[in-house]
Amino acid sequence: MRRRTFLMFSAATAAGAMWDVAVEHGAPGKELVRFIPETKLIPGVTVWRPSVCAQCAAGCGLSVRVVEGDAEVVRKGQSGLIKVGLAKKLEGNPGHPVNRGKLCARGQAGLQVTYNPDRLSHPLRRTGPRGSGQYAEVGWEEALGELHARLGPLASPSATSSLAFLTPPLRGQRRALIENFLSGFDGSALVSFEFFDDRVLREANRLSFGRAQLPTFDLAQSNVVLSFGADFLGTWNSPVAQSLSYGTMRQGRSGVRGKFVQVEPRISQTGASSDEWIPARPGTEGELALGIAHVLMSEHLRPAAAAGSAGRWIAGWSDGLPEYRPEAVAWKTSVAPETIRGLARQLATHSPAVAIVGGAPLAQTNGLFTALAVNALNALLGSVGKPGGLQFTPQLGSIGPAAPAKSKSNAANLSGNIQTLAQQIRTGKPKPVGALLIYQANPVFAAPPDWQVKEALVKVPFIASFGSFTDETSSLADLILPDHSYLESWVDDLPESGAAEAVLSLAPPALEPLHHTRATPDVLLDLAHRLGGPVAKALPWKTYEAMLQDAYTPLRHLPGSVSAASDDEFWSKVKDQGGWWSAGPVPETKPTAARGRSQPVKNQEPEFDGPAQDFPFHFLPFPSQQFGDGRHANLPWLQEMPDLLSTAMWGSWVEIHPGTAQRLGIAEGDLVEVSSPHGVLRAPAVLSPGIAPDVVAMPVGQGHERYGRYASGRGANPMAILGTKTEPETGALAWAATRVSVRRIGKGELCLFSVGPLEWGAKQLKR
Amino acid sequence: MIFLAALLVAGLGVLGMALVKADTRGAPGSVAGESTPAAASGLSSGVFTPAHRTLLEAMEDYFDYFPTPVQPIAFNHKIHIAKGMKCLSCHAGAALGPQAGIPSVTFCMACHQVIATNNPEIQKLASYAAEGREVPWQPVNWFYPAAHVRFWHAPHIRAGVDCTTCHGNVSQQTVAVRQSDLNMHFCLSCHREKEVSVDCATCHD
Amino acid sequence: MSRRWGMVIDLDRCTGCEACVVACSAENNIATAGESQAAKGRAIHWIRVERSWEGEFPNVRVRFRPVPCQQCDAAPCEPVCPTYASYHNAEGLNAQVYNRCIGTRYCANACPYTGRFFNWFQPSWDKPLQLQLNPDVSIREAGVMEKCTFCYQRALVAESQAEAEKRPLRDGEVSPACVQSCPSGAMVFGDLNDPASAVSRLAGLDRGVKLLEEVGTFPKITYLARES
Repeated sequence: MRRRTFLMFSAATAAGAMWDVAVEHGAPGKELVRFIPETKLIPGVTVWRPSVCAQCAAGCGLSVRVVEGDAEVVRKGQSGLIKVGLAKKLEGNPGHPVNRGKLCARGQAGLQVTYNPDRLSHPLRRTGPRGSGQYAEVGWEEALGELHARLGPLASPSATSSLAFLTPPLRGQRRALIENFLSGFDGSALVSFEFFDDRVLREANRLSFGRAQLPTFDLAQSNVVLSFGADFLGTWNSPVAQSLSYGTMRQGRSGVRGKFVQVEPRISQTGASSDEWIPARPGTEGELALGIAHVLMSEHLRPAAAAGSAGRWIAGWSDGLPEYRPEAVAWKTSVAPETIRGLARQLATHSPAVAIVGGAPLAQTNGLFTALAVNALNALLGSVGKPGGLQFTPQLGSIGPAAPAKSKSNAANLSGNIQTLAQQIRTGKPKPVGALLIYQANPVFAAPPDWQVKEALVKVPFIASFGSFTDETSSLADLILPDHSYLESWVDDLPESGAAEAVLSLAPPALEPLHHTRATPDVLLDLAHRLGGPVAKALPWKTYEAMLQDAYTPLRHLPGSVSAASDDEFWSKVKDQGGWWSAGPVPETKPTAARGRSQPVKNQEPEFDGPAQDFPFHFLPFPSQQFGDGRHANLPWLQEMPDLLSTAMWGSWVEIHPGTAQRLGIAEGDLVEVSSPHGVLRAPAVLSPGIAPDVVAMPVGQGHERYGRYASGRGANPMAILGTKTEPETGALAWAATRVSVRRIGKGELCLFSVGPLEWGAKQLKR
Repeated sequence: MIFLAALLVAGLGVLGMALVKADTRGAPGSVAGESTPAAASGLSSGVFTPAHRTLLEAMEDYFDYFPTPVQPIAFNHKIHIAKGMKCLSCHAGAALGPQAGIPSVTFCMACHQVIATNNPEIQKLASYAAEGREVPWQPVNWFYPAAHVRFWHAPHIRAGVDCTTCHGNVSQQTVAVRQSDLNMHFCLSCHREKEVSVDCATCHD
Repeated sequence: MSRRWGMVIDLDRCTGCEACVVACSAENNIATAGESQAAKGRAIHWIRVERSWEGEFPNVRVRFRPVPCQQCDAAPCEPVCPTYASYHNAEGLNAQVYNRCIGTRYCANACPYTGRFFNWFQPSWDKPLQLQLNPDVSIREAGVMEKCTFCYQRALVAESQAEAEKRPLRDGEVSPACVQSCPSGAMVFGDLNDPASAVSRLAGLDRGVKLLEEVGTFPKITYLARES
């Protein structure tokens, strides 16, 4: 009491002096209008709603924590507050067969996609020169009217130019919708682009196993896992599903601990968990796999015939691979013969064992050979379709509307790639591209400079984008019709891998839209309706929801996770569950039979871009733990998440072996210049013991020129110096086949979260 | 005597200053995060201390001074309760979650489409509804964000704590007035009596 | 007997994916520091994944471990606090009462695990990122120490739910955000006073070690060592 009174007295005296401050804090007239909410939630009480993660291609199920809160909105020109359901956290959907309640860092950071300050909130029309980023807001009617006017002439049978639609690889009904939309445009092309696209592995699996599909690994029952470059615990394939089963492989079975060996020239996040790291020379992984196979056969651990048809793509397989004696392989791969023999014996005696291949080994000019070699090794080990081995998730691709009848020109063009599109734009053949629609893909950022994607795209007379952000590609658009975020949309996906059962992920919008955006599928349906003719015929639905419902209700009669007495009940349960998964055999999409090849794939020496004497180092761009291929660089949580191995935040870096660095006079944090025959970039050096001396590595994802406030102008983009060597059999970019030189430029800046054992503190290295 | 005099002077000083702007100012925070924490924490303009934007705010907080809000509509609790409505009829959230909640204008209009439509206060209500706006009710019971208080209604209701314990006998009030200091002494005396948690972390996060 | 929350982190399962790091930021309203502040060592991560290299090329191994506050039973951070902002609660947590904290940073100095963080600046979120903020966790202002709370708010929600349903809390029902998210199941959380709980069983394994056990802090996090 005494203290309080004294304080009170002093306070009253002091208060007089602070009068001005006191008056200011009233801040009158700042109160915002409150609009009447459209939904009713109990204040402060959490509702969990299902959704589907769109951060990568794994198709994990989400549980969105929704709590009522105030959002600032503009209604009829007046800004005010409204109570809406707000997403507070993303967790995994516990019932979803792929991720079973778990979610990776990138998936969780997806919350910052919806609430990103740089999200586009209105349709925009370009006002400045193309690529200048100068836009003015327009209304939806105006924007749709303009799009209609531009696409109308292309939809007529006598159109002299064609339409191209650029997307990431899409699946499920979203793909069906876009394909049907394009069916009304003669000569149109659906061009899908993804930097890390696994095209080589799908082709190899098509040849080896008759399935052009990424595999699912039953690691939980494996005793030995041998991975060739696959970052399967970090960014590759279905990382959450693979991490789940990896945990069980290590410590989930009593008395058994699976062993894990990683082959790669630079320790990745996945490699960091391995029991043994084997830095084989880049491009020789297939050789190593066959060396192991040779031992298995020559030591009579497995008969050559065990590989079945997967062996026939490898020359000399049935003769026991005489060219791949460990000593010969060791010379090429720099892996000791004893190591090769040891690996083979472990794999043979500790079955089930499985080999995994993905990432950089397949991004070499001999990528297909490498993939086929590892596939054959798996087949030899007897791990295909067996517990503890690799399987294929049943695919229910056939639901939904039948693929549209294609005209001949369509059939030729319906799956294009970015190079053929650029070619078509440049040459105007077979038809000039009259308009380009862009949905999410960002090839201007993620394609090698020599493909001249940007130079080609700017020549298209009309470009419209449905992107939520202006990035390097969508900033070329004349018209932007921003999509809802995935939490605000009807979402569906068809996971290619990660589960033993057929899975369809589906969910209604978890949130009301925050901005004046429209769901792109609904915009396309609207547009189809406006265009009339064959486009409207191919897409008779008024809403995407109706289209999804039509596609999903027939599933009621298949054995699955939902039992319902009526179609309506079925639909409502599917929505609540966040999808549908099979509980028994289902009619699958026909596996693609091997065709168009009867000869084994030749083992070619890997070719590298750039002569070794001028460019002594292999350049390894790797998908980063934070940003994947760069699409997450605008999320602040991920920018500030320290990289596991380098501890770097908010930037990019070049990883160099300490011995190499010493030779070149480079110290940790120094700014170095990395040059390839195709370009030059600068970034600070990180000295890492976990990289081969003749390799320099760099994370992909930073170096955006235009991608919002958190990503723009930050770090360097390794894609910008890549060569254009391809894997000849598939045409896939050999993104790990560029050679570079490195030199010190001067002092650099590196933002590290220094985590030496039990030391904490970020420090800026300045020299 | 000197204490009392000091108390009086100080009290009047604080009160007087506060009243100057009591009607114009929104509460800087409110019970259990009625507004978002970001808005509530005064992120934009930390000046006096990070926790209190101004000396005045710090003083008011310290002395448990909370200005009486001026409500846009002179809502009459007494009439509603006399007609047999329960607290939870409108503040349903109290039994279900952290916040009691204030009903939307559409909820009021369910009855007031037809009841007391001539009353000028009801006409104000109707005009808000017609404009598609909520009534800008001012919070009555709230904590300063610097207090870092986490208060959840539902566990208290389940434990049989009557609404009046904290909110007074609202059946005798017209416009709701803050009835208790809602300071630690107030909370803890009850928590001790009922032998429930008096751990800091239960209420402060 | 009251609860005693504890955690087990199995380093043989951990893949260093840092799902826990983002889960923690999301759950606990941890503000992003930005590049210039982060470079000054002011980024806050209540849980971090430490990495250390062993050996020389090509025989290199990497080891890592997630490190949140160890919630010590004899916590060095507690006795040094002049305002009792840092204290031990009945459930064994080293709690931090933000409104008592005056920012002396003695606790951060005393903590051998560097598990405590000072708010060097007023946290802020670019609109509309503030909409992501968890309403169950308050925003810590500049000048206040903060630390891992074992997501106590999640325990309170679960307890409140169990109480409403008139049933005891089940083992595994309470999990901090990091544990919930962990894709490889490396983290397990529960009541150490319940001998039947998963966390008690795992904490008793031979592989169990405590971090800096020799300094006598009696941490409530048990690390299960890697077997290779």
